[in-house]
Amino acid sequence: MKRGSKRTFLLVAVTLVALIVPIVAASAQRGAAPAGNPNPPTSPVTGNAANGKALYFANTCYGCHGYNGETGRAFVGNWSANLATEENFIRFLRGRANVAPVQPSTSMPNFPENSVSDKQAKDIYAYIRTFKSNAPELKDIPTLNQIIKGASRPYKP
Amino acid sequence: MAKKEGSVNRRGFLKGAAAGAAALVASAPAAIAQQDAAEARPAAVVPTSAQLAADVAAPPANTRIVENPGSDFMVDVIKALGIEYVAVMAGSSFEGLHESLINYGDNSKPEMLTTCHEESAVAMAHGYAKIEGKPMMALLHGTVGLQHASMAIYNAYADRVPIFMVIGNHADSAVRGAGVNWYHSAQDMCAMVRDFTKWDDNPASLQAFATNSMRAYKIAMTPPMGPVAVVCDSGLQEEPNRHKNLRIPKLAMSRPPSGDISAVREAAKMLVAADNPRINCGRAARTANGMSLVTELADVLKAPVNNGGERMHIPNRHPLAGNGTGQPDLILNLEVQGAPPPPNVKSISITALDLFMKSNIQDFQPYAPVDLSIAADAEATLPLLIEECKKLINADRRRFLEDRASKIAEANQRARNQAKEDARFGWDSSPVSLSRLAAELWPLIKNEDWSLVGWQGFIGGWPDKLWNFDKHYQYIGGQGAGGIGYNAPASVGAALANKKYGRFSVNIQTDGDLNFAPGVLWTAAHHKIPMLIVMHNNRAYHAEVMFVQRMANQRNRGIERAHIGTTLREPNIDYAKMAQTYGLYGEGPITDPKDLAAAYKRGIERVKKGEPALIDVVTQPR
Repeated sequence: MKRGSKRTFLLVAVTLVALIVPIVAASAQRGAAPAGNPNPPTSPVTGNAANGKALYFANTCYGCHGYNGETGRAFVGNWSANLATEENFIRFLRGRANVAPVQPSTSMPNFPENSVSDKQAKDIYAYIRTFKSNAPELKDIPTLNQIIKGASRPYKP
Repeated sequence: MAKKEGSVNRRGFLKGAAAGAAALVASAPAAIAQQDAAEARPAAVVPTSAQLAADVAAPPANTRIVENPGSDFMVDVIKALGIEYVAVMAGSSFEGLHESLINYGDNSKPEMLTTCHEESAVAMAHGYAKIEGKPMMALLHGTVGLQHASMAIYNAYADRVPIFMVIGNHADSAVRGAGVNWYHSAQDMCAMVRDFTKWDDNPASLQAFATNSMRAYKIAMTPPMGPVAVVCDSGLQEEPNRHKNLRIPKLAMSRPPSGDISAVREAAKMLVAADNPRINCGRAARTANGMSLVTELADVLKAPVNNGGERMHIPNRHPLAGNGTGQPDLILNLEVQGAPPPPNVKSISITALDLFMKSNIQDFQPYAPVDLSIAADAEATLPLLIEECKKLINADRRRFLEDRASKIAEANQRARNQAKEDARFGWDSSPVSLSRLAAELWPLIKNEDWSLVGWQGFIGGWPDKLWNFDKHYQYIGGQGAGGIGYNAPASVGAALANKKYGRFSVNIQTDGDLNFAPGVLWTAAHHKIPMLIVMHNNRAYHAEVMFVQRMANQRNRGIERAHIGTTLREPNIDYAKMAQTYGLYGEGPITDPKDLAAAYKRGIERVKKGEPALIDVVTQPR
């Protein structure tokens, strides 16, 4: 499950063009869930979450989305329309894979039916739907508050 | 020195030994034929009585006594260079110099560091130089050791870091001992690394060793800096030094080249006139002063500074640290390789790399059609550029620049605040998120004189987002050429350089990198190099996981096999035990983020006692 920006970052890092990419800017999409729909979907779930867990791991979904969907290319706390329903999710997985397989439509891998069946996709979806943000509110994290307080003092050389 | 009665020179001894070996080889077929004929004899060749006698009898007492060996003079040369440390992986092609360093040289300045791999020796020198600003020495075995070292040499070359390498050889085939010494010898030893070594020499005399060691050091330290090599023949090392008039020349260093005044004035005009300039930094700050100069230029121009990822150029909380606002109309690249400007954006390049380049290895990056190219060292050129810019800024322009500065400061502050707030995502996740791994560490080290001695590229840049960096030694960048296996040994070398200043060295270490040559942990323990090593243990070569996924995606074959060949599981590697085996304090694996702070504290206690400690943290992939 790939993103162009992550691929770009890695190539940049390895080939030293990273010299002109600031760490903060380049990593803005890596380590955090950007602001999006914080509310998880409520549509029906018909898959088996236990099977989905094994598939989530076997398909290396965690590689980009973390083990909890909350790090890397996070989706928990940033629920997109692609995850609103089972149907949307399957449509997203397929992308153009069944139509124009040599030109996937998204930067995330497209999964044709011969790779992930509809049943398996529903299982994965069921597992994803069990994810809940465990990110505390900022006010409840003393360590981060301490860091922010320290960094907010006016800069003095 | 007078020759002791009965002593022989090394060459004479080797000639005798070689002749004896040749006689044994010549007589072998006859011996085998006799053996075949004698059925009662055992299958293995029985040593002759002469061989047995040679093995058990004491050697003639004075046969190998060599007084005033050439390698003692070599040590004098190395001491004259002011080299503090020499990292070695022991090898017979430099045993003469090895012995001289530890006995004649008293194992002091340079002190010998024992490593377990030549790649570690050179990478340690790489990290050391980026903190100390000068080379340390790596002493390498002929052919085999040099090939082991080659990856680390390439990294240092691409990272423009000076290293002084001495490489053993048995140059004279007429006296070369039969067998393995031939494998460890070469006609042109440095040919195998010349594409990524700045300069090398193969001295044929002790005087040439002295002169060209000075020359090599000078070349290594002249920007663009790089690793240099001097081959050290075993005959020169081991034969008596019979020369009475050998001299060690003065080390005459070059001043780094600064930019032509007319070009610098043109650059200043462009920069002051630009509405939205940006300063991009590659490896511009070679020293603490370089960081001050970049910061001063930013303050004069009120221009944002992209710090890059390879050196410290500006404090990360400085209001102008960041990309600023909008599309720049002019980019000033300081020691940035390649980086063609975006369409319709003017650009200026100041780099010493325009003065030195090799053709085979493609480390020079894409051709950049800049508007003004100044072939000079950026740090050396900055004082002049700053002064020229100051001259051109009148009161009207200053008001405009002040207004621009406040907008840039706002934008940069927003980006920094957002990054800190983003750290809460995955805060309680298990495996541990990288943001928390870095965040929990900061309160414990922020009051120390700390130095991050590992690369941030594989850890999401979280230290940069959460910690306050304001000194040049607080970050030293990464591999140079992207050669994995750099981080563990280079961080040990950097921590070694930090040791004498009493700094607290921290390395966030990826698991894949450590497994290239983990023996450097033993080197850190053996030489009591204090440093805290925190494992970013995602149990994979994770960048490669994603690359394989991408390739499988392009081919529409599913990515369920992307873990094959890319992950480090089944069995999981226990890095705490690995550390303990090598003599370090080791703790982990930690999977619950709530356990982090206490583990860090225990590790920090050990580091403050002067030893290395490793905390293994099982982490999210990214």
